[in-house]
Amino acid sequence: MKPYPVPPLPASRLTGLLLALPLAAVTTAAAAALDYNRDVKPILAENCFACHGFDEAGRKAKLRLDVAAEALAPRANGPAIKPGDAAGSEVWQRIISPHADEVMPPPEAHKTLTAAQRETLRAWIEAGAPYAEHWAFVPPRATSVPAGAPHPVDAFVRARLRQEGLTPAPAADARALLRRVSLDLTGLPPSAADAEAFAADRDPRAYERLVARLLASPHFGERLAVDWLDAARYADTNGFSIDGGRHQWLWRDWVIQAFNDNLPYDRFLVEQLAGDQLPDATDSQLIASGFQRNNMTTHEGGTIPEENLVNYNADRVKTLGEAVLGLTLACAQCHDHKYDPVSARDYYRLFAYYNRLGDRGLDGNAGVNAGPARSLRTVLRTGEEADLRARIAALRDSLARPDPAVLRAWAARERARLARRGEGFALHPVKVRQVSTPNRSDLDVEDGRVVVIRQAGDLAAIDIAVDLSGVPGPVTGVRVVVPPSPDLPGGGWGRGPVTRAAMAAKTKGKGKAAAPAEEFKGTFRLTALAVSAGAVPGDQIDLHQLRALAGVTASSWDPAHPPAGCLDPRNDAGWSPDLAATGPVHLTATLARPLQPAETPFLNVQLNFGAGRSLLPERVELFVITGTDDGTDLPAAVVAALGRSGGEDDPAVAAVLWTHVARYAAELAPRRVELANLEDRLASLTEPFSTMVMAVADKPRETRILHRGDYAQPTEVVTAGTPAFLPPPPPGAAEDRLGLAQWVVMPGHPLTARVAVNRLWRLLFGTGLVATPADFGTQGEFPSHPELLDWLALDFIASGWDVKRLLTLLVTSETYRQSAAATPEQLERDPRNRLLARGPRFRLGAEFIRDHALRVSGLLVPRVGGPSVNPYLPFDLWREVSHYGSTPATAQVFVQDHGEKLYRRSLYTYWKRTAPPPSLAAFDAPNREVCTIERGATTTPLQALVLLNDVQFVEASRAFAERALRHPERADDARLRWLFAEGVSRPPAAAELAVLRGTLARERARYARDPAAAAAFLSAGESSRDARLPAPEHAAWAQVATLVLNLSEAITRN
Amino acid sequence: MHRAEAELLHHLTRRTFLGRSARGIGGLALGTLLTESLSAATRGQPGLPHFKPRAKRVLCLFQSGGLSHVDLFDDKPALHAHAGQEIPPSVKGSQRLTGMTSNQSAYPVVPPLRPGRRCGAHGTWISDLLPHHQRIADELCIVKSLHTEAINHDPAITFMNTGNQLPGYASIGAWVSYGLGSVNANLPAFIALVSQGTGKNPGQPIFSRLWGSGFLPASHQGVGLRPGAHPVLHLNNPPGVDRPQRRALLDDLARLNQAHAAELGDPETLARLEAYEMAFRMQTSVPELTDLSGESAATLDAYGPEVRKPGTYAANCLLARRLLERDVRFVQLFHRGWDQHIALSRQLPNQCRDVDQPTAALVEDLKRRGLLEDTLVLFATEFGRTVFSQGKLGDPAMGRDHHGRAFTVWLAGGGIKPGIEYGATDDFCYNITENPVHLRDLHATILHCLGIDHARFTHRFRGLNVRLTGVEEARVVKEILA
Repeated sequence: MKPYPVPPLPASRLTGLLLALPLAAVTTAAAAALDYNRDVKPILAENCFACHGFDEAGRKAKLRLDVAAEALAPRANGPAIKPGDAAGSEVWQRIISPHADEVMPPPEAHKTLTAAQRETLRAWIEAGAPYAEHWAFVPPRATSVPAGAPHPVDAFVRARLRQEGLTPAPAADARALLRRVSLDLTGLPPSAADAEAFAADRDPRAYERLVARLLASPHFGERLAVDWLDAARYADTNGFSIDGGRHQWLWRDWVIQAFNDNLPYDRFLVEQLAGDQLPDATDSQLIASGFQRNNMTTHEGGTIPEENLVNYNADRVKTLGEAVLGLTLACAQCHDHKYDPVSARDYYRLFAYYNRLGDRGLDGNAGVNAGPARSLRTVLRTGEEADLRARIAALRDSLARPDPAVLRAWAARERARLARRGEGFALHPVKVRQVSTPNRSDLDVEDGRVVVIRQAGDLAAIDIAVDLSGVPGPVTGVRVVVPPSPDLPGGGWGRGPVTRAAMAAKTKGKGKAAAPAEEFKGTFRLTALAVSAGAVPGDQIDLHQLRALAGVTASSWDPAHPPAGCLDPRNDAGWSPDLAATGPVHLTATLARPLQPAETPFLNVQLNFGAGRSLLPERVELFVITGTDDGTDLPAAVVAALGRSGGEDDPAVAAVLWTHVARYAAELAPRRVELANLEDRLASLTEPFSTMVMAVADKPRETRILHRGDYAQPTEVVTAGTPAFLPPPPPGAAEDRLGLAQWVVMPGHPLTARVAVNRLWRLLFGTGLVATPADFGTQGEFPSHPELLDWLALDFIASGWDVKRLLTLLVTSETYRQSAAATPEQLERDPRNRLLARGPRFRLGAEFIRDHALRVSGLLVPRVGGPSVNPYLPFDLWREVSHYGSTPATAQVFVQDHGEKLYRRSLYTYWKRTAPPPSLAAFDAPNREVCTIERGATTTPLQALVLLNDVQFVEASRAFAERALRHPERADDARLRWLFAEGVSRPPAAAELAVLRGTLARERARYARDPAAAAAFLSAGESSRDARLPAPEHAAWAQVATLVLNLSEAITRN
Repeated sequence: MHRAEAELLHHLTRRTFLGRSARGIGGLALGTLLTESLSAATRGQPGLPHFKPRAKRVLCLFQSGGLSHVDLFDDKPALHAHAGQEIPPSVKGSQRLTGMTSNQSAYPVVPPLRPGRRCGAHGTWISDLLPHHQRIADELCIVKSLHTEAINHDPAITFMNTGNQLPGYASIGAWVSYGLGSVNANLPAFIALVSQGTGKNPGQPIFSRLWGSGFLPASHQGVGLRPGAHPVLHLNNPPGVDRPQRRALLDDLARLNQAHAAELGDPETLARLEAYEMAFRMQTSVPELTDLSGESAATLDAYGPEVRKPGTYAANCLLARRLLERDVRFVQLFHRGWDQHIALSRQLPNQCRDVDQPTAALVEDLKRRGLLEDTLVLFATEFGRTVFSQGKLGDPAMGRDHHGRAFTVWLAGGGIKPGIEYGATDDFCYNITENPVHLRDLHATILHCLGIDHARFTHRFRGLNVRLTGVEEARVVKEILA
């Protein structure tokens, strides 16, 4: 979340000032002695190392400039670099050569040294060309804290400011600081009341108490987790190709709990890298080991497993490098690294640690986790169980006990419906124009009407295109008739369910006669039905013209598979007829709005038989209906009970009816949703769920160096090991992932602690002390405050890798607590605030923008963890890109959740990699395909559209306004002040209040003129609203709330 | 708005201008910073284009799933002579096949599904499945020697659209938006439209990464344009909010934001104000764009009957023309369903019917309106299909497998030589015999037409100067340039 990305300024404009050069250069060149790592190496790396560096294969003229021994060695034409003598150095001569065939870098490299860079190189050679090891590859050096400030962070930062002649900014005011630290440590804003209380708190330790309280909040773990989920490329789907669903949230919740428990960072890493290999590994440690299972996987038919496995392991090495070590290792998959001393051998030795995992190159289909996976219980400890059980019991009780008022209303409605049943009903045969399914070719149409599915198969969605010309309108629905056949097992209607063994036998005997009929009555399951209609013919269902269905009935049903199941497009529910039924069976879907064949004569019906196991019919006849459906979705017993007038007053009858009402009546839907959500929640806290883990295969694969990274070109065998240029593993470390983990966290490791400290620094200051947090190598940026970075890294290790302690240290510095207001001088001197003469400011991350709106509106359901949820989506973006209908993979079609699942924190939003949540993606959330360490922070019109128009935010405005209208003080000004302060944690200035008053007055007038518009606006979202509030007044306030939620200040952390 | 920006700029920089002119260059830096913040979405990278472009815009008609070059563009006498016979081992070679055909016991040659004819001045062969393409042959530069290493959809389509087989890279459209910026202040620079094919529905899955921004700023990702209520996600005001009301609210918002930005010295807030204004303009520019009522019956008829069905490839073609007319920099259509592993004889004619007439109509429409000369049109796919059958020969279920060693794409318009063929395959359209064009070369050529040297067009990421054409060799196919 760095500030608005501004490309570096053209250096030519800045010669002599060096404003936009990497931070080190903010010091004018003359002000300090040249430092090889800071001043010289970046120039050599950028311009020379690609051909004169570590990569032997790419090396030109057998010359290396990255190591002193070779750069300074005698050569035929004299040394490349002659210490103390630029003119006598070939390098210098080449740099200043006017000849195109001599000059370095050569013209084809498209690189030009600026005058300042040349001067630096000249001065460095003249000064003796002192080389130094790369700063990040030597362990952090202990430095004493400079004098001048009691807090070590301030001491280092101010020492630098003094050098630069800058002074720190004054302290931020209390409210701004409260908002800043709350957002940083929990991702949630303080309330207006919190802000007032904090501003009024005279206790000198008030801030420390605040920080302690925030760190103890369960939301701390959520806040910290988001960055790690990006780094670990956590998502809810497999990513490649069909992008089916997976289950890995137990790992995500482990991360949250680990941060909340303040698990020392070294253990945090060891358990994730090698939790499965720890002695007596606990379930928690197994879950943790799923870190390196978050990589994308595929089950795309036709792909080559060996190639896929190479891709998986390459992604694991890349992630280890960028997330943990701050190294861009990926280059070395194909060749020795151009800039850092990482050889291809080093690369494949790291690769070998992961190549022992017993995963498969094609796996993870049908919503079943790719192996190895384990069924385990969450590590979250939220303490909700007792409350959940009580609420579940109460809801079950309320649903079990007949409510006479509800029952009467329902019975009256159902009687009326039954009375209209079959009114004007007529059945019309239709002409089938075309029938198709994507992955098979065994469909026929008989007599232009009957669809025949000639062969068995696991599953299929069948698209039937029909012509309605000649059918009288209005058409009210569609009927699907399935006749039995003596050819089908047991003389039934379909071919399933065949057992898995029979399926396997059939697949093996491909092309031969089907396996002998099994001992069952063949049936089918219609898992979804969709209808579209248009004026232009089309062969398949039109996703953009789907017709809403008012309901479905059937001639009979298996109690476990009632007709309503096919209203849910997913594969796990659907209609199957009662096995006791005889003759043809049918299902009728009534359209929410009838259609006129004269206007839209072309109808498409998609029948999805997605349950698998050959639960497909053989023949299907399609009809349309006019008039009212003559069927019912009520069981016979319920129809009979309703037939007795006033029967619901008889307790026995009422009991029969209520069983049905409790399950299906619309009036009780909110209660059923709440119950289901609570049951899900309780289960997620108490039951085992599948999660992917690391393991070692019984027969681990051998690892070879792959020529050019190609799985098909293996060369020599390598064993697992750590890169040669870094310190060796501690004595006794094994050659397995546990050994790797122990190496990563050994106190002398030059990278791990620096990288971690830098990332936490970045979380609070927007930019790391190293501005390239994933690259501490040669091409990375030199630290802005190298001594501070080392001091913090050593302190972090010495503290036992205590994350909360480190964050406490940072947020209690005056550097952190400075005002973020920028003066013109500051903007001019240090536009990117690398010197920290003012407080950091950046836009909130995507998740926290939505969380902010949910919090201030009071809608937030602050439960921690659990399976991911599907809040509002304006269009089925999943189905648009998916393979829905021809795969058992899950996550092919979007089904929105309801109730509390709409209002969970955004890190719990289901992350489908090929179609990530658009309202989060608009604010730079990554698609989680690969390790992401730095999100961008762009500013786009799509963001404005989300904040103004996304139903999630519109609903939040409505609920936020409702809170304002419940404010005990009734005066407009008091409520406006509260609304503003709740939104941005400070009271409005007089001029701001005046604007708000104007908004309110204008919106009041607008909605007073048009109460229907007010009602329409207030209908956004599924949460209930207080109906006692007059709609125009509520809507007017909601507009003010929209205004506040759209303030730049509301989505910025100042 | 603009006055307020100027005031803020003045406020932020007055010290420089009044008292520190000796260091005025610092003021310049600040001014640059501010201007970049305000218009980063519309400006490209400094120094671009590198040279005079031949095309200002790109239209990419992407046929997702693997279009059969054998059936549609690359007929050979040998295919008929060897119909039903095993492909010679010397042609097939020993390189890898996908897991779908690598275990087949026979690889019989299947000639094109339908006859075709030589068309245009050059006499290029085009299948009768594409009669409208036959008509516009003189506009097309048909490249018959494209090749890719990828043999399966996900890696292949990702490679074709981002220059890498693995995720994490920026799409071509995002690169172009990043490099050249936008010339339309009311619409995004990169717009993507998806349609389902009728040959195979749903087709192979596609992914947002194909129009994603990868490591480039997210503001360069392709914005989806869809039919129906939400042509751009979240475009519409919520129910009960009208346009004048929204305008007034945005004015209030601007007032509050400006005051606060001035107080804090915050250029980002000014950029945000500009983004809100563009969002407001998009609320009229997008409906105006998608409103086809001004199109003549003749135009609509030219695109074929499906143009009247929103969301189809035909309808998207017409929208593409309207987008290009409005100077949207990069327009990309994805048409799904070109993956004829099975039932080639049923699926392929449907896919062809989806795209043939609208594609030809679009090229002609662009030409008629003078847009073709500075619009580069690319008709591409992720790989071709095998000359041998997948499945049993003669079975209606027979199809063709993926084939990356040689396949056909065509280009037209800005900077491209019309009415030519480039590159050739062997008698079995299996291997390239002359002028191979790797997809990287195609990328380099696209950038070249836009005035960009692919080798110098880089973005710094993870320590590397990353480019669309990657680290391997890539060359501009100069021979096809006009």
